[in-house]
Amino acid sequence: MITTVEAVPFVAPKTQGAGVPDQDLVLASKNLYVWFGPRMVLADVSLNFPKNSVTALIGPSGCGKSTYIRTLNRMHELIPSAALAGQVIFEDKDIYDPTVNPVDVRLRIGMVFQKPNPFPAMTIKENVLSGLKLAKLSNSNQNELVEKSLSQAGLWNEVKDRLDNTGGSLSGGQQQRLCIARSLAVDPHVLLMDEPCSALDPGSTLRVEQTIRELSEFMTVVIVTHNMQQAQRVATYTAFFLLEDNNPGYAVEHGPTQHIFGNPIDQRTSDYVNGRFG
Amino acid sequence: MSTALIENQTPSAQRPWRKKSRNDVLIVVVASTLPALFCFTIYQIGILSPVISGMLFVILQIAAGAIAGTIHRGRRGLADGVLIASIGFALAFIGTVMSSVIWSVLTKGLEALKWQFIIQNNEYITPTSPLGYGGIGHAVLGTLIIVGIATIISVPIGIATAVYITEVRGRSRVLVQGLVQAMSGVPSVVAGLFIFATLIFTGVFEFNGLMGALAYTILMLPTVARTAEEVLRLVPEDLRSAALALGASRARVVSMVVLPTAKSGLVTAMLLGIARVVGETAPLVFTIFGSAKTNINPVEGPMAAIPLYIFNGVRQPFAPEQARAYSAALVLLFLVIVFFTLARVLSSDRRKGKK
Ligand SMILES: Nc1ncnc2c1ncn2[C@@H]1O[C@H](COP(=O)(O)OP(=O)(O)OP(=O)(O)O)[C@@H](O)[C@H]1O
Ligand SMILES: [Mg+2]
Repeated sequence: MITTVEAVPFVAPKTQGAGVPDQDLVLASKNLYVWFGPRMVLADVSLNFPKNSVTALIGPSGCGKSTYIRTLNRMHELIPSAALAGQVIFEDKDIYDPTVNPVDVRLRIGMVFQKPNPFPAMTIKENVLSGLKLAKLSNSNQNELVEKSLSQAGLWNEVKDRLDNTGGSLSGGQQQRLCIARSLAVDPHVLLMDEPCSALDPGSTLRVEQTIRELSEFMTVVIVTHNMQQAQRVATYTAFFLLEDNNPGYAVEHGPTQHIFGNPIDQRTSDYVNGRFG
Repeated sequence: MSTALIENQTPSAQRPWRKKSRNDVLIVVVASTLPALFCFTIYQIGILSPVISGMLFVILQIAAGAIAGTIHRGRRGLADGVLIASIGFALAFIGTVMSSVIWSVLTKGLEALKWQFIIQNNEYITPTSPLGYGGIGHAVLGTLIIVGIATIISVPIGIATAVYITEVRGRSRVLVQGLVQAMSGVPSVVAGLFIFATLIFTGVFEFNGLMGALAYTILMLPTVARTAEEVLRLVPEDLRSAALALGASRARVVSMVVLPTAKSGLVTAMLLGIARVVGETAPLVFTIFGSAKTNINPVEGPMAAIPLYIFNGVRQPFAPEQARAYSAALVLLFLVIVFFTLARVLSSDRRKGKK
C-alpha cells in the first residue's frame, strides 16, 4: 500500500496548541498520512480524543476533515484509490492492524454523514433498528429502543405517530435526525459526525447540540463543523485543519476549545476563527 | 392586503399551469386540421395515389407544426412544433402496428376460444377436427412449467451475477461482464441446439420439459443479469456507506439494503427475462419435442408448450387448426398480461409515504 505511493517532499509543520491530555484516550491518530491515488491529501495528523469528550474539527473546505474522520472508522478504504500510512489507535489497538475486522471497528465507531442517507426501502422504525439487524445484534425491547434513540436525536415527537412511514417521507432535516437516531441505536463508543447540522434549521440544530452534550457523558464524539459558534457550544477540544496551495492538509493547532477561540497560538488559527480568512 | 384576505375568504384550489389560452388551442386546431383536410381533398379528387397523398400529409403536417410553433413561440417553437408532429406520427405508426397485431390475434383467435379450449388437451384431435373439441390445456401447463423452471434457475443466477459485478467487484468482473454480453447475442435456435447436442444427443436425457427450461435459461440469464446490473447501479452509494458505517458486513449490506432498495427493479429484470423467452419457439423444437397429451412431469417424456403449438398449427393447411393456433396466441397474450400485472401489483410497495 505504502510502496505504491511516491514519497511527497512535504513536511507538515508540527501541530501546535495547548494539546490534549494523553491519558484515558479512546481514540487517537498517530502520524497519519492519507492519499487518494498519487495525491497526498493529509500529512502527519496526530490527534488525541480523550474518553467522553467532544472534539470539533474545523477548517476551510477541502482541507481533508471528512477524509480524516473517515479514516477513523475505516470507511476511507472503501474508496478504490485510497491509501494511508500511520496508525489509528482505538481502545489501545491499531484499527489498521491486519488482524482487525473493519466491521467490528465500524460497529463501535458510528458515523453520521454530511448528507442524510436513510434507507428508503425501510420504515422509520426499521431505519432506527437497522443497525441491530445489519450487525445481527439482538435487543429485547425494540419499541423502547426506538423511542429512546429518536428522542435523543430530537425527532420522537414529530414522528411518533407515523413510525411505519418510509424514511424517504421525512423532510431533509428530519431525515438527518433519523440517521443520528439510527447511529445511536447500536450504542457505539465513539460517534463521528460530518457536518451533521448542515441540513438542519436552527431549532433542530440546537436539539442535536443538546444531544451531543448529553451523549458526551458516556460517549466520545468527533464532529466536523463549519459553524464556529457550534464548535464553541459543544466541543471540549477543537482541532484546526488547513490546506495551503497544492500541499496536503494538516492539523495546525489542537487544544481546548477556549484556547483555540480565545488565545490561539498560531496566527492562521486566529484569522480563521475570527473570520478573517479565505 | 389581497382581496381574498379582506373578504375573509379562502381561495379555492386552482391549477393555473394547466390552463391553456384560447389562442394556443386555436393554433393547434388549425395546424392539425388544415393538412389533413387538404390531403383528404386531393385524395378524393383523385389527383394523387393514396400512398403519395399519405406521404404528402406527413410532410405537410410536419411543416404545419413548424409554422405553428414559430408563430407561437418564435425560433424555439420551431423545433418544438417539428418534434411534436414527428412524435405524433411515430406514435401513430407504432400504435397501428401494435393494434393490428393485437386485432388480428383477437379476431382470428376468438373463433376457437371456448372454455373447453383452455382446459382440454389435444389428444385424438387431428388438424381437421371441428372447433368444438380439444384444446391447449396441456400446452398452457407446459409453458407455465417450462418458463417457471427457467425463471427459478435464471433469476437467482442472474441476480448473483449482477451482485458479483456491482457489489463484490471481484477480479474477473470484466470477464464475467464480457461473457454475459456475448451470451445475450446467442440466437435462440442455437440455445436449443446446444442443449440438444450436449444433453439429449449424447443420451444423458430424453426429450423433456427440463431440457426446454434449460434452453430458455440460456436466453433468460443474460437479460436478467444485465437488467439487474443496471438496477443495482442505481442504488445510491450513500446507502452502502450508511450500512457499512453501522457495522454491517458486505454480505448483509447486499441482502438487507441493496437488494430491498432495488426490489421493484429486480422484478422488472425478472419480467424482462420472462418476456424474452415466453414466446420463443426455436429453443423448444429440439428439447421438449411437443406432445398432444398432457404431461406435467418435466423430467419424463415430451412436453407441449404454447409457442410450439402455435408454430405447428399455423403451418397446417386446414382452417380449424389455424383457428386453434390463433386462439393459442390469444391465450399466450392474455397469460403474459395477467402474469405481468400480477407481478407488478405484488412487488409494488403498498406502504404509506412512498416517494
Ligand atoms: N473520493 C475521492 N477521490 C479523490 N479525491 C478525493 C475524494 N474525496 C475527497 N477527495 C479530495 O480530498 C481532499 C479533502 O477532501 P475532504 O472531503 O476531506 O474535504 P473537507 O475538509 O471535508 O471539505 P468540506 O468542508 O468541503 O466538506 C479534497 O482535495 C478532495 O478533492
Ligand atoms: Mg466534508
